[in-house]
Amino acid sequence: MESTEFTRLQFLDRAGLNTIKTHIDNLTKVIIKWLDPGNPNLQTAIRKTVSEDLFSEQDIRHQLSVLRKNADNGDIREWVNRAGLSDQQNAKGKKVLCLHAGNLPLVGFQTALGVILSGADYYGKISRKDPYLLPSFLDEVKRSGIDQNISFSTDIDSFKDLKADKAIFAGSEESVSDVKAEIKRLKAAKRGADYIIRTAKFSIAYLSDWNKQVKEELVEAMLRYGGKGCRSVAVVVAPFGLNEIREDLKQAINSCWKRNPQHQEPTPDLKYQYAYNEGIQRNQLWMDDFLIQNSEELPETDFTVNWIKGNKDKIRDLRVSFGQKVQSVYTCEEVIEGIDTEPLGMAQSPPLYWKPDGMDVIKNLI
Amino acid sequence: MITPDHIFDERLSFEQKALQVFEHQRLNNPVYNRFTNALDIKDPASLSDIPLLPIEAFKDAKIVTSSNNSTLNTQHSTLYFQSSGTSGMARSRHYIQDPDLYRKSILKGMQTFYDLEEYVIWAYTPGYSSNPHSSLIWMLKTLIEKEESGLSKFLELGEPISKSELLEIRRSGKKLMLFGAAFGLLDILDKYPIQLPEDSVILETGGMKTHRREITKEQLHEKLAEGFGLAETQIHSEYGMTELLSQAYAQGSLWFQCVPWMKVSIRDPKYPIKEKPLGEEGLIGVVDLANLNSCSFILIGDKGIQREDGAFQVLGRWNPQNLRGCNFLIEQD
Repeated sequence: MESTEFTRLQFLDRAGLNTIKTHIDNLTKVIIKWLDPGNPNLQTAIRKTVSEDLFSEQDIRHQLSVLRKNADNGDIREWVNRAGLSDQQNAKGKKVLCLHAGNLPLVGFQTALGVILSGADYYGKISRKDPYLLPSFLDEVKRSGIDQNISFSTDIDSFKDLKADKAIFAGSEESVSDVKAEIKRLKAAKRGADYIIRTAKFSIAYLSDWNKQVKEELVEAMLRYGGKGCRSVAVVVAPFGLNEIREDLKQAINSCWKRNPQHQEPTPDLKYQYAYNEGIQRNQLWMDDFLIQNSEELPETDFTVNWIKGNKDKIRDLRVSFGQKVQSVYTCEEVIEGIDTEPLGMAQSPPLYWKPDGMDVIKNLI
Repeated sequence: MITPDHIFDERLSFEQKALQVFEHQRLNNPVYNRFTNALDIKDPASLSDIPLLPIEAFKDAKIVTSSNNSTLNTQHSTLYFQSSGTSGMARSRHYIQDPDLYRKSILKGMQTFYDLEEYVIWAYTPGYSSNPHSSLIWMLKTLIEKEESGLSKFLELGEPISKSELLEIRRSGKKLMLFGAAFGLLDILDKYPIQLPEDSVILETGGMKTHRREITKEQLHEKLAEGFGLAETQIHSEYGMTELLSQAYAQGSLWFQCVPWMKVSIRDPKYPIKEKPLGEEGLIGVVDLANLNSCSFILIGDKGIQREDGAFQVLGRWNPQNLRGCNFLIEQD
């Protein structure tokens, strides 16, 4: 674990040292410094990530540019206000263990920042699939002399006997029990610790219209990061069928790939699915490395989007039947009664305070 | 052209027959034809190169092989098997153009494992009249009709097993073979406990998940053996489904053996054309040559494992372990 020595600064002290405002200002400065294109540590992290073929440079640059915009827009202060973090209400003294997934670059950034903002001590199991980017930020935080424990490692054994108060991770039915067993084996969380487990796996888009903007936003929402994020669109509902916009969509995908080549190739089962669709004559758009198909089933496989011809009622039905696996429902500014929606254009550019699984990490910790 | 007789002809190797059936179905089954064309597989060199059609195809399309007009054949085919399911749920449908072929597969298949002359067949399942489209019930009806003592029958569900009828079987010099779904057999034990003659065989046909709570196959066999007063070696299992016209049997263990015209392989879920090494878990793939008139090459949605002699275990439904989206995995992250 890299939690060697920390310069302990004062977090909150009524006697007159730092306040929550100072804490936020300090962290904002850290983020801006870290995101500075001239920051050699960040550039090294990017270079290593790209050279080890972990993510594409385009996807990393996109993620960093979103975070820069977030910082410039005052998202940190907005987040703190929304969560109700204050001098009186914070998580100071709590130990929080975060197990970060590595399906897309910096996927753990929001959780890590939320934990640090809350005042809690941060212990991060960094994904071996994304071992440089988040640590470059955490190193920057440590260098700032923050008065919180910031420890991280790619080795879960480093958290032996940690006895954390809370553990946060994203999981599925199949993975949660293994992860919990490992935490228990290592005593990484204390008995009776609170587990925050995220289950959202994909997002849905409802398209009421088809124009240049919708097309570009949809393609970005489906293809960015190879469609591997829980904010990625894996199901499209539209009053028009896939066959009606097939050629148009095909061109938009090809054009997007020219700017952002898909980093990973799908496994051969995707071609198997395409062949199956051919067999049963299911309508589909086969792009060799990506498949869009007419299907109302749960979208389980990577690089696949299910297209459903339907209206707002269909969205409501799907939201219920897919349940907690759905992260967000995007629309082209349309309101769907009874469902929280977000603009489609924000799918891959969310504000810092977006809520994975509908839950605000800061609010949950304080 | 390959005929039903070829299927059961043991002078031909399984692979030879499978390659002939592949060619026949590739040319005469429109769904399989489009599927293999999309995969660019027209001339497989060996059995393992033959692509397996995902089993959902029986829900999503009509799976019919016929050198004549396939639409006409399905219209005139009065016999079809349909999977069970709740209303509104898509069900698999298997059109049977040649019932004699299925009958032959059932009887020859059972004879591979049991001396049918020795057994009276009892089926603790719904009867044929209320389930004319169940392939299992059709199979049991065939076995019951074939047995000559007149003692074989469908039992009344919810009724106790008659001790006097058990005695009658004994007097006939035959042994009892009791078929039933896991939950049905456990229900008998709950409501009307009874000890069966020690040479009886119980053949459970699956359906464990529908019983109050999911139990393992080992636990089920233990309960059945203890409850019916039999050795565990007398508790057997049948592996069959609507989409297959052949069955595999496990006799006193969890390892299933196939009939000679059926073969199982374990496939890589990420690359189903590839077989997994022995001992590794994967998707169960079946080549059932008795499916001559539908599709013989099927990728089942069950998880399985295989050993060197070809015997396999069924380990439940396959769940994709790497569901898309954020997911912390101990081994990968």
